[in-house]
Amino acid sequence: MPVVADLDRVRTAPDLFEKEECELREAFLTEVERVPGGARLRRCIQCGTCTGSCPVSYAMDLTPREVMALFRAGDIERILRSRTIWVCASCYQCTTRCPSNIKVTDILYALKRVAVDRRVFPRKFPVYVLSETFAKQVRKYGRNYEVGLLRTYFWKTSVVRMLMRTGLALALWRKGRLALRPARIKGIAGLRRMIAKAETFDRPQPTEVDQEPTSEVGYGAIG
Amino acid sequence: MDPDVHLGVYICHCGVNISHTVDMDECRQFAEQRTDVRVARDFKFMCSDPGQELIKQDIQERGINRVVVACCTPLMHELTFRRACQGADLNPFLMQIANIREQCAWVHNNRELATEKAKAIINGAIARVRLHSELEPMRAEVNPATMVVGAGIAGIQAALDVAEAGHPVYLVEREASIGGHMARFDKTFPTLDCAACILTPKMVSIGHRPNVHLKTLTEVEDVQGFVGNFTVRLRERARYVTPDCTSCGECVKVCPVQVPDTFEEKLGPKTAIHKAFAQAVPNTFRIEKQGRPPCKQACPVHQDAAGYIALIREGRFREACALVRRQNPLPFICGRVCYHPCEQDCSRGNVDEPLAIQNLKRFLMDWEAKNLPRPDPPEIKERRTQRVAIIGAGPAGLTAAHDLSLKGYPVSVYEATDVLGGMLWLGLPAYRCPRDIVMRDIHYIEQMGVEFIRGKALGRDFSLHDLFAQGFGAVFVGTGAHKGFDLDIPGEDLEGVESGIDYLRNINLGLQQRTGRRVAVIGGGNTAIDAARTARREGAEVTILYRRTLAEMPAEKEELDDARAEGIDVRWLTAPTAIIGDGSVVTAIRCVDMELGEPDASGRHRPIPKSHSERELPFDQVIKAISQQPDSDWTQRSQGNGRGTLILTRWETLEVNPDSLQTGVEGVFAGGDVVSGPATVVAAMGQGRRAAEAIDKYLCGSPLTDFTTHLPPPNPREGFEERPHENALPYSKTPRVPRTIMPQLDPRRRIHTDDEVNLGFTEEQAQREASRCLSCGVCVECLECQRVCEPKAVKHDMTDKVDEVKVGQVLIATGHQLLDSRAMQQYGYGRLDNVVSSLEFERMLNSTGPTGGEVLCKNGEKPRAIGIVHCVGSRDENHHRYCSRVCCMYALKFAHLVTERTDAQVYQFYIDMRAFGKGCEEFYSRVLREGSTIIRGKVAEVVPSQRVDHRGRNGYLLMRCEDTLVGRFREIPVDMVVLCNALEPRADSVSLAQRFSLSRSPDGFFLERHPKLDPISTMNDGVYIAGTCQGPKDIPDSVAQAQAAASRILGLIAKGEVLIDPIRATIEEKSCSGCRMCNAVCPYHAITFEREQSVSKVNQALCKGCGTCVSTCPAGAIAGAGFTDDQLEAELEAVLV
Repeated sequence: MPVVADLDRVRTAPDLFEKEECELREAFLTEVERVPGGARLRRCIQCGTCTGSCPVSYAMDLTPREVMALFRAGDIERILRSRTIWVCASCYQCTTRCPSNIKVTDILYALKRVAVDRRVFPRKFPVYVLSETFAKQVRKYGRNYEVGLLRTYFWKTSVVRMLMRTGLALALWRKGRLALRPARIKGIAGLRRMIAKAETFDRPQPTEVDQEPTSEVGYGAIG
Repeated sequence: MDPDVHLGVYICHCGVNISHTVDMDECRQFAEQRTDVRVARDFKFMCSDPGQELIKQDIQERGINRVVVACCTPLMHELTFRRACQGADLNPFLMQIANIREQCAWVHNNRELATEKAKAIINGAIARVRLHSELEPMRAEVNPATMVVGAGIAGIQAALDVAEAGHPVYLVEREASIGGHMARFDKTFPTLDCAACILTPKMVSIGHRPNVHLKTLTEVEDVQGFVGNFTVRLRERARYVTPDCTSCGECVKVCPVQVPDTFEEKLGPKTAIHKAFAQAVPNTFRIEKQGRPPCKQACPVHQDAAGYIALIREGRFREACALVRRQNPLPFICGRVCYHPCEQDCSRGNVDEPLAIQNLKRFLMDWEAKNLPRPDPPEIKERRTQRVAIIGAGPAGLTAAHDLSLKGYPVSVYEATDVLGGMLWLGLPAYRCPRDIVMRDIHYIEQMGVEFIRGKALGRDFSLHDLFAQGFGAVFVGTGAHKGFDLDIPGEDLEGVESGIDYLRNINLGLQQRTGRRVAVIGGGNTAIDAARTARREGAEVTILYRRTLAEMPAEKEELDDARAEGIDVRWLTAPTAIIGDGSVVTAIRCVDMELGEPDASGRHRPIPKSHSERELPFDQVIKAISQQPDSDWTQRSQGNGRGTLILTRWETLEVNPDSLQTGVEGVFAGGDVVSGPATVVAAMGQGRRAAEAIDKYLCGSPLTDFTTHLPPPNPREGFEERPHENALPYSKTPRVPRTIMPQLDPRRRIHTDDEVNLGFTEEQAQREASRCLSCGVCVECLECQRVCEPKAVKHDMTDKVDEVKVGQVLIATGHQLLDSRAMQQYGYGRLDNVVSSLEFERMLNSTGPTGGEVLCKNGEKPRAIGIVHCVGSRDENHHRYCSRVCCMYALKFAHLVTERTDAQVYQFYIDMRAFGKGCEEFYSRVLREGSTIIRGKVAEVVPSQRVDHRGRNGYLLMRCEDTLVGRFREIPVDMVVLCNALEPRADSVSLAQRFSLSRSPDGFFLERHPKLDPISTMNDGVYIAGTCQGPKDIPDSVAQAQAAASRILGLIAKGEVLIDPIRATIEEKSCSGCRMCNAVCPYHAITFEREQSVSKVNQALCKGCGTCVSTCPAGAIAGAGFTDDQLEAELEAVLV
């Protein structure tokens, strides 16, 4: 049955026959391209400077370069299921060194947002829970509330592990490093306004046109 | 309807380029309906022969006399269709192109709208061409001489090709030798020919051809003219070696200066006189001079300080002594008492402390006195008859006597006292300048034949008139300033109050002189210190009173320190108001305390007395040493007697011409303290020297102008603000070395003796001190090369030459430079040892290079592994976006050579391997077979390893990257990293582009006229480009371009004349108001103002028809032929309607 075998192989390539996958990818592409500088992703020359510069690439299952390659190949699913986007420590070394001026860190952030929106996460790697909880704390109190963060994080991931760490928590509490009640900052209203304003930046931006800079002299000037 | 206009419209499909977007039929039908259009056609390729034939036929058979071709840009085919018209006997300027490809079809998608636009463009052309008139192109002859700028491989090849055809070529090169980058390479990819072996025969050939005028060390300053007739102004920097040089290399052996060699990428040293490499053409050495050392410039006698310091460093004391004597007639004296303006301007002062230049000179003269016989007086070549009288045997008079007798004049020196030396003997204490030292210098001058007449004073024993009556041709007056100033306070006439200069004179002459027990010296200058220290040696307790502070004190700091070490008390901010005496003898000084106020005219703070601070200090002798002035009584008794009058200034000094030093009396010159007031020994010597030159000119009857003797410039440090020479470290990064202190006699002992206080340097001390010299300006002018040069080819006084050359065509082949990879900090170039650039590695591989062809780490060890990084600054948005094209291949060549010559492992880090071109892919697979490791991934960073490896070696480097084919981060330990730096346009390509009116592409390289069809021409007719100045390329491509350019040049020479487009501006004289606004705006300097008719005129040969003046002219007096206002308005109207 050679024909069927062929078909099977084709099926493994995403989006050729699956309408859904194709649409999903299209939507993701537009979304990430709306990240400022996102359109430059098309220019990636796959040199690996990002991976080489990354201090945490050892902990990634996909290298940042592979994220770029998979992205262009349309395999968003694999990216969202990988740890890479959650491991990124935001040191921006990849962004400063990228020879194609791709804002790698920003793109990883955008992918995080996509992952949260679509609820697609790596298996057995609950860092996103920490991120989400942390963001909620800051929104609520204007600063981190450690006990609340720990409670929610471990409740959602592993209660057993929380119990295993009770000794440490007690020690911290005795030294006054762990406040049992949340403290709210002064002027929380102002902070919220700032966050609201910042969120407008996160809304889809007009798609940027990635153009060569017009030449100051060159043929452009002489017709 | 115009019965005389027969229009033909021809619309080109350009294959499908135009017809794909624009409806051809509709356009044709539209054209047919226009007034006066007799025929309209469309055709697949109008530029093809059948297409052109259509036009010709219509012209000949149907009487078409205006042609519109709707096609591509006129840059492509305007000439084609003009020729077609000409072929059918129609004036080519009655044809107009309507660009419906670049300006319409290629930039639109909507067929309907594009067709409308095409119709409008055609309509415009029809309206315009109606108003065209016949124009005749101008003709100009082509000068067969050609200039090639840049003598790398491209320039050399083109020059040879043009010269081979028998035409003169000017080959202009900025460096001292031709050869460019290729001369620095070892092997060339992919064939592995030795670069030198294939380049040097061509270089030699350039040197041998009589019709190649080689201009090295030369740069283009200005270009005027047009194709066939350029005038280029060239500046040739002085080489300081004439072509008589036989390249024997003797000079290199004696040159004491070593600086980093830029030809070797600073990996090795070179001497100040050098030849870049063995096969250099021209085969002439060159001296690198980047300005004169500040120490030499600051010296009034132009002493070659940096020169003898360099020789001391090398331990060549005998040569150094001879050099000191070259400019200095009083070297022993200067070594002791000169106030060394050289040290104030010494560049080393910017690092730590200035060199002890004066002490070094003293060391030399001491060494000479100890080790050499007394030097023979120099040979005097030419004897003269006119005699010169010199009044005063001080430093000014002695210098003038020395210089004049060297020139052959019989010189008589009249001295008022019985001792020679003037202030040197009378004013300077023996502990500073022993008398036998003074006599050594004077003896030398006496030996030259100078006659000394002691005990005869001008105005007392003879007059100026007497001298001229005795037959002297000229007189130099250097009588000094020997009269002390008064304090103008009560009690000055008391016994025990004397002037410092009188006190010193009496002591020095051994006359009767009382010294008190408690002596006050008033003043803060050098005379005050000398008087104080002398009084101290006479056993007195001495106090110096000075009315300002230490900072304002004019005395030398060393002198003051010595004085205080000898127990002399100094009271600053103390001024005497009266001298109090007991009857006729001094008993005390009444003083007040001062404070500093605003700065006065001399820049020093004016002292102001503090109220209620008066007090009395007990003294039994007061020495006034506030200043001196000349004793000018003699001028009353000895005037010019008909030759003019001596004029005195209000300081009693003689007024002289500042250049010639001639006084008001003709033939009488003056210098030294009698002119300048009390100054330094070396300043007086400088004036003596200038006066000697002036007297020589005067006696030869030459005008007293154009003097060549040195005057220190206002800022001797000019040009040395940042670093001593181009390739030196800046001062801030130069390692500090403390100044060598000269040993001194113990202060407790020295106050009881007249022995010299300073004991002099040992040889080791002198050499250590001399090694602190930074060799300002590279060549320090020790003149050793001049001494050893047998063919007498070294000429240190050469100057830059500016030449104008007339040529017909110019080829620019100025090449590239390497990106400075310091910009990519992650690779650590310049910070980490053993991270080298490609050119450095190339020199290291070269058998004539700094390591003799061995690949060595900085510590001299052989590297175990070498990493080669591709694309350093290329294909990188942060640096250069383009691919540098040659890096992949030379990186592979490096890999091959390293594998061949060493045991090191090679790692290549590439992004994409670009091995195109003949033999390149084969070379790639050869290198792969040889076993070098290649990793696909750009190196992210190079970091020094913190660990010690298993063999106990540390200091290796880690290269971090992603191996992208495996998808893993890797860290590879190597001993050496080679960076394949991007090729980039030369830093000065902007100014060169301006000079030749060239355009540059966005990457900065020169822009060719067309990237595919005319890659060697530029937008400026008659100026061509070849080699890497046009874009990165390898040697075969550079040579091919050079040969293509040469054939273009030869083609035009063979044709003999150029047609110049008649699209030119003309000025209607009647309307021109003579405002000259057009003169200023013309980019080609083609418009000049005729003063007589008061109108501007256009030089038709220079005008390029750009139209700037047309739009500028407020009177509308300028019209551009082929672009008249009527034509443009008609075209616009027809396009818009």
